[in-house]
Amino acid sequence: MVDHGSPNPLWERSRFLPALHSAHERDGWLSGAAVIDAARVARIPDAEAWEAATSYPEFRFAPPASDGPATCMGLSCVLNGAVATPGAATQSCRFRCYDAPVSGAEAPFPEEHIRLAGPLLAADIPDFGALERARGMPAEAALALIDSASLRGRGGAYFPVARKWRSALAEGRPVALVVNAEEGEPGVFKDRAMLCLRPRRFVEGLAIACQVLAPAALVVFVNGEAAPARASLVATLADCAALFREPPQVMSGGGGYVLGEETTLLNAIEGRKPVPRLRPPYPVESGLFGMPTVINNVESIANLALLFRGSVEGYRERGTPEAPGTRIFSVSGRVARPGAYEFALGTPLSTILAAAGAGPAGPAIAVLAGGPSGGFLDPSRVDPPMLPGLLHQTGAVMGSGGIIVLDQLSQVRPAALAMAAFNAAESCGKCTPCREGAPLMADVLARGDASRALELAEVVGAASLCGLGQMAPGPVRSALHFWPEQFR
Amino acid sequence: MTIRVDGHEVMPRGSVLDTILALGIDLPHLCKDDHLPAIGACRTCLVLVDGRVAAACSVPAEGVVTVDTLDERVVRIRRVVLALTAAMQVEGPAGGPLCGTTAAILAQASIAPAPVAEPEHIDASGPFFTFNDAACILCGRCVVACQDLQHISAIGMAGRGRATRVTPGASVSFRESICTSCGSCVAACPTTALAPKGAAS
Repeated sequence: MVDHGSPNPLWERSRFLPALHSAHERDGWLSGAAVIDAARVARIPDAEAWEAATSYPEFRFAPPASDGPATCMGLSCVLNGAVATPGAATQSCRFRCYDAPVSGAEAPFPEEHIRLAGPLLAADIPDFGALERARGMPAEAALALIDSASLRGRGGAYFPVARKWRSALAEGRPVALVVNAEEGEPGVFKDRAMLCLRPRRFVEGLAIACQVLAPAALVVFVNGEAAPARASLVATLADCAALFREPPQVMSGGGGYVLGEETTLLNAIEGRKPVPRLRPPYPVESGLFGMPTVINNVESIANLALLFRGSVEGYRERGTPEAPGTRIFSVSGRVARPGAYEFALGTPLSTILAAAGAGPAGPAIAVLAGGPSGGFLDPSRVDPPMLPGLLHQTGAVMGSGGIIVLDQLSQVRPAALAMAAFNAAESCGKCTPCREGAPLMADVLARGDASRALELAEVVGAASLCGLGQMAPGPVRSALHFWPEQFR
Repeated sequence: MTIRVDGHEVMPRGSVLDTILALGIDLPHLCKDDHLPAIGACRTCLVLVDGRVAAACSVPAEGVVTVDTLDERVVRIRRVVLALTAAMQVEGPAGGPLCGTTAAILAQASIAPAPVAEPEHIDASGPFFTFNDAACILCGRCVVACQDLQHISAIGMAGRGRATRVTPGASVSFRESICTSCGSCVAACPTTALAPKGAAS
């Protein structure tokens, strides 16, 4: 765990973000003095504290203007009739897209919105049989088991889990394990569903990962506003304290989509400005405080509990040979039954849309797959199997399983502009193409200059430092491909 | 193993950028300071590395087979990025709409200077240098010099996205900050955003 009593000054830096987060929860905003106080706790210089604190979109630096619940202006809420009323507060996606339109803070994920449960979302099992089996295996046998199941990370990049673990272990130094439960993508609520309702499956998976990796540091980073998911996780970890040599550190910050980029998350944990690092070195070589670091998603970790309980053959019964298993899709927008759907990898998009009852007022006109880092597609023209990699050459991806359905042609342009503006607003500001180019791309698209928007899309995609900028062109390029007439 | 740069077979040196510069190719680079580690922020030194667009400063040369600095597509992308950089600058106290390295690079790339506007913010509170926000291209060299070279950490990049600004902390001027006027940030600045006092005239 991250040891708060450690005399190592590097480790003290990890006290910064928790101190900021609790000051923000206490006061509802951060004064300059509160930031300096947190800097003193972590023993970091004022200017470094200030540059880090001001980089989180969910931190306020002035007292909130009104006490009324803010209206969610996330895409799914807007598609379902949310409008900004003058004078009333608004907020970006609150991740309750299954209940759209919503206002106010986050709420515990409701059981009835688990619309389709597979092995991951099935009711939690009271024993820890999977962990017991892992404990009876040497680390190499456990790695071979994960390898033989071809388990791929569910964060969106689908990197083979065992290969990542082996790379970190091959460094021959104590490793760090970081679980990314930041979940800041509009329209995605699967980690919240998992942590609120099936926390034991995740915690058992985490204990299995600890058994194999024997991490010297273990951090679960939960979205700063996902209070119900965090509370559920903390309570379950307390119940299951005996499973861990030292209790995992649960950490929260001030949001930001870019925290989905793993080196940015490492900077956040270290109390540094949350911007991406250059690679190499890769996190498995030199990550959290220079340790070889494994960063996995909540759903990837939960898969371990399935894998070590049953047989590899049983695990491979679902999905495809290259991408076995299931994944949780967060389906929202204009659908009759929004919520979490667990489908086998390789399931056709049309099957998922049919299950969710796409388009209560008509057929699904457009689908946004992969959110702001993905793209739109026309489900009447393409019906891709949901697999890692591009679902369509113009940008749509499975990503972290977000699916937002549009049922009117007139929604395409505002939805594409909303995604372009989201990426521009979420740019961390480190690299020029993303910081300057993404807002300009949104701007010229809004003004109807499609060819300039496509030119900028090429530049932002090719020249940006991290995945946020590299994937930002998807919604623009794909919307212009399928519905060019909507942008004239 | 040699590396092929624009048709020349050479030995790899440090980064791909180091290898390119050692060949005498004048590839533009703004955020890479000779004396500091790569930042990878400005994306000015884009080249094709084994067929992929990459910032030359942040790719180790070892293991690379071919580098192409003249590929039509990568030159076009590089110019658009430079135009985005140029558009950040407005006329500063030095008198020119574009200054220092940026002006030279943009001249090299034949890009028209950005429109002139009023500077938003000038901090002349320090004894030895001024900070002119309007000339800043957010390359990060000053911050790396202050935080990682001098280990002073008097400045940082506050805010995010387009609202990012180099600042000495929360509502603090340079004079009120812990800045020691060591001059490392001024030496690192590729524009005139950080300039010695007196240099403006």
